[in-house]
Amino acid sequence: MGKFILRRFLLLLLTMVLVSMAVFLITESSPGNVARNVLGSFVTPEQEQSFLVQMGLDKPAYQRYVYWLVGSDWHASSKTGFPLRRITSEEGFEEWWALRDDGSLVRWKLSGDDLISVVKQPDGTTSEHVDNDAWSRDDSGVSRFWGIDTRNHAVLWEKGSDLKVWTFIMGTGWMKTSGGPTEYLPLKKGFIRGDPGVSLRTGRPVSKSLFPRLRNSLVLAGIAFTIVMPLALVLGLLAGVKEGSFKDRFLSIGGMTFSVIPEFATGIFLILIMSVWLGLVPGATVFGEKAPWQRLDMLILPVLTLTLIELGYILRITRASMVEVMRAPYIRTAFLKGLPYWRIIVRHAVRNALMAPITVIMLHVNWLMGGIVIVEVVFGYPGLGKYLLDSALFKDINALQAGAMILVLLAVGTQFVADIVYTFLNPRIRYT
Amino acid sequence: MNEKRTTASPPADAQTFVGSDETRGILRGLSRGFSFVLASKTATVGLVIVLFWVVVAIFAPFLTLYTPYEQDWMSPNAGPSSEHILGTDELGRDLWSRLIYGARVVLVILPITENFWIPGGTALWGVLIALLIGTTLGLVSGYYGAWIDELVMRLLDAMMAVPIILLYLLIMASLGASAINVVIAMTIVGTPGIARLVRSLTLDIKTREYVKSAQTRGESPLYIMFIEILPNARGPIIVDSMLRVGYAIFAMGTLGFLGLGMPPPSPDWGSMVAKGREFILMGSPWASLWPSIAIASLVVGLNLLADGLREESMRYQ
Repeated sequence: MGKFILRRFLLLLLTMVLVSMAVFLITESSPGNVARNVLGSFVTPEQEQSFLVQMGLDKPAYQRYVYWLVGSDWHASSKTGFPLRRITSEEGFEEWWALRDDGSLVRWKLSGDDLISVVKQPDGTTSEHVDNDAWSRDDSGVSRFWGIDTRNHAVLWEKGSDLKVWTFIMGTGWMKTSGGPTEYLPLKKGFIRGDPGVSLRTGRPVSKSLFPRLRNSLVLAGIAFTIVMPLALVLGLLAGVKEGSFKDRFLSIGGMTFSVIPEFATGIFLILIMSVWLGLVPGATVFGEKAPWQRLDMLILPVLTLTLIELGYILRITRASMVEVMRAPYIRTAFLKGLPYWRIIVRHAVRNALMAPITVIMLHVNWLMGGIVIVEVVFGYPGLGKYLLDSALFKDINALQAGAMILVLLAVGTQFVADIVYTFLNPRIRYT
Repeated sequence: MNEKRTTASPPADAQTFVGSDETRGILRGLSRGFSFVLASKTATVGLVIVLFWVVVAIFAPFLTLYTPYEQDWMSPNAGPSSEHILGTDELGRDLWSRLIYGARVVLVILPITENFWIPGGTALWGVLIALLIGTTLGLVSGYYGAWIDELVMRLLDAMMAVPIILLYLLIMASLGASAINVVIAMTIVGTPGIARLVRSLTLDIKTREYVKSAQTRGESPLYIMFIEILPNARGPIIVDSMLRVGYAIFAMGTLGFLGLGMPPPSPDWGSMVAKGREFILMGSPWASLWPSIAIASLVVGLNLLADGLREESMRYQ
């Protein structure tokens, strides 16, 4: 058993690595120019070049993959020779600083040929000093310095090169400054350590917007799931008790109908009927700063849409499983023994019939996600799915990769759990 | 299914009427197929719905006075009237016309460029190509087994582990929106499932005597896979592909709704709903209602048909 779980777990890890590479390659190979999307079409070639270099997009793909996965601070730390710290400033921005031996935090900027160090004391005050001793001169006589700049990059400055750089500040516009470094290394902690980088679309760290979105989606999925599960299982069992009866045909054709209609069509029908025509519930979700569970009335339609589409699927699987069990010889034997009808159904049939649907439900998480993405778009629900779609349309690669990885992790993780649950439920399975 | 195609032809004038006998054979096959469908009420209802959309899609240019792009600036977002039987969208385009041209894109034509298209609907092509690749993969890995099987199946497992919606998002985001890319996306998403089905069928069939005897005759593996095994696996594959067409239409609508399907202004049900959705709360639900009904009825029809067929074929077994 332990061996089986370990094997499945290793397979899970392998899948994750493969998928992360695939996700990375697909998003990075996309022809849509990331810079154009962020900066608009009136950007000049120099501005575009500056932007790409500052985002680290000029690096080779394997290096970006490693940085994205495990972070770049360790690399920058070895280059600068300082341990690096990420702190959150009073204004709520994330800042990278180098840590000096005396416990003070330091960053640098270049003014003409002078290197200025910005020192932040433990009490929060900052002071600036000229720090020209830090230059290190190499054999060819060029002075270089690896340091941390004020915009969260590790950078290589070259004395006297005085490069002009264009800096794009979200919401402000372009700024042309001198004193640019020759090499940039954007600092991030990496996906594994919970920091997938900065969203190219919003300029905020992806993790800041991703996790509330994920929470919202989980709330929606959780509510839908708790409603669907018992309902579908009970209805499926009822339909499967007597194959071909009116109840069976009604439930299975009804269930099929709702499960094959695309979510967006069901959503539109529900909005038209419940919201526009009957005026019972709001037809869109607008939460503002509130959490979804504070406006439960707005959750009704999204949950109902998800319920309808999931209900049919699980119902049909439960029904098929129940029909099969009811045909089994031991059920006939039980009837012939003269056991009471309900006792046969509840004690003998249902237990065995529930095995298949429970595992299938776990595997169905994959589909549930698809449903959630659509439902979120239909109702404007601020969840992970909508975030992913917006990121995909914008080619916001950092956000897309992070969201994609979380989805895959959820899908593969539930599959893993389903495998284990199944071996517990069905002792006939031999695990190899 | 017990349709063994034994052509029991009358012995006397068989040689003189070879041509007509062949046509009669095909006709008989067709009518047998039809009576097979008509035997099930579910399948009949499904067939009627599907046929309605197929006919409407084929004859779309003759069934409307407007092109799907023509804009009537005098009446945008109008309800049904004698001029526009289903109403108009936000640009005053005729909804009936857009609806049936949308059915055309799904079922009858695959637009490659703006002016060039090939027959066979976008959804059908998506299923067909996935079917070709998936069947080949399934046959090969089921027939050869060993490391080929292991390799193919692990790869397909990894592909199946990725949520489908994510595959669509990634593929369409990197390829861009066009009919060809929709077909590519549907192929990538559909292949693993078909390969698995065909593999399991192959594993079963390759133990049969006729495969063994073909091997003894010294037939090539290619012959055995495609001539001996594949025709005997066709029943489940046909029912499965019918469900897949339904799913492909579902997927096309979803992609269109997410803005990843056909590029505007082509008539696409999903994107019609997405656009019309913005005007529901402003009191004009028509632009989103009709395509929703259209796609719902078409996929339900296909599923009823496939369901009925499956039930019928199970009854024969």
